[in-house]
Amino acid sequence: MKLTTENKQLTRLAELMQSERDHLFRYACYRLGSATEADDVVQDLYLRLSKQGARLAEIEDLKGYVYRSLTNSCTSVLRSRRQFATTETLDTLSSDDLAPQDFEHEFRLIERLMALLPDEQSEVIRLRIYGDRQFDEIASICNIPLTTAKSRFRYGIDKLREALEKRGLI
Amino acid sequence: MKTNNNLDNFSDNRVVNLLMPRFAPATSLEFKAPAPRRRPLWQAVRISAVAAVVAVAVIIGISSVQTSTAREVVERAMMRLAEADSFLVHFTANVHESKHSQDLYIADFEGAPIKGTVEIRKEGSKVKMAIKWQDKARSMELYDGESYRRYQNGQLVLERPDKGVDLTPFATIDKLKEHALLTGILLKFREEGDIISVSTRGNKVGIVARFSKSEGRLLGAECSGLYNGQQITVLTVDQIDFDVPPTE
Repeated sequence: MKLTTENKQLTRLAELMQSERDHLFRYACYRLGSATEADDVVQDLYLRLSKQGARLAEIEDLKGYVYRSLTNSCTSVLRSRRQFATTETLDTLSSDDLAPQDFEHEFRLIERLMALLPDEQSEVIRLRIYGDRQFDEIASICNIPLTTAKSRFRYGIDKLREALEKRGLI
Repeated sequence: MKTNNNLDNFSDNRVVNLLMPRFAPATSLEFKAPAPRRRPLWQAVRISAVAAVVAVAVIIGISSVQTSTAREVVERAMMRLAEADSFLVHFTANVHESKHSQDLYIADFEGAPIKGTVEIRKEGSKVKMAIKWQDKARSMELYDGESYRRYQNGQLVLERPDKGVDLTPFATIDKLKEHALLTGILLKFREEGDIISVSTRGNKVGIVARFSKSEGRLLGAECSGLYNGQQITVLTVDQIDFDVPPTE
């Protein structure tokens, strides 16, 4: 059977979502701190994009578009919760906190670290580490030059290192 | 242009290692391309709008046995659905009469409440369904797997070919999720204390079924939506009976 343009685009979207599934889900998990909410956000994203049907053909970098949409979706969820960053600081961090034993504690640790950084740096780090995106992809997703994507990552990591060293945690 | 994507070249691996995910949860989401010329769920099953809402409420809103996780509770409930030869759903719906002959009633926020039952009976590969409305005309809609017949005041008033309900997409949660993704229904599982809720969200209305984990049973299911700034319930599933004897 000859596929319509819409079917072709929906197939393209489904294949991309399936191949990126784990990375999309993991990014959302470590952004939202909840596997259930991450599932919902990724499902919702797929359904919203599916509704574009044949218009998906107009999106050249579909993967970048999907990740950009995901980051926006997660931000919306956090906004609806009125919670963007943890109020916990590194000052109360113990060496036990640095070796979490489950996802909940791991997420809390990461949130505490990310809260030290400007949003643009933490976003690049999240996309790199949890979304498993390459720097050229991050540059495309965030609409910034490649060098800026790299420098934001480096500055962010350096800032975290300084903060942890200052407190004798590494 | 050569692109350096290597993490190793960046400052401090102690920090990067600290940030690396070790307890990332896994997802069971599956994304599959839709079959060509796919029809939406409601058209595919070709049942009236109210019956479709009831059918989904039944699918997600059936009683279960005590178990540990939200997913397991619902999985057991769905297995029971798959194994039951018949079930009878008692519901109350706010409806108005449809202007199109295909549907008898349409769920409506401003509609009048009418009680009814949906009886679903599996006979071999066929699924038969009967919707009985407690309206003045004692309306009854029958789907026998081949045709649709509507009776009012005991008289046959409409008949047309109709394949009726296909329950196979709802045999397991994975199948349901897969089907939901193909048909544009968002399915959510929530667990708060003893209450497990499974919900769908469409463009206008959502369906929620709530289970008690400790009691292992359905507490209720309802279909509601936002109308004039208020959350209005348009359909409530009052009771579900399994393996009921055939009614007339």
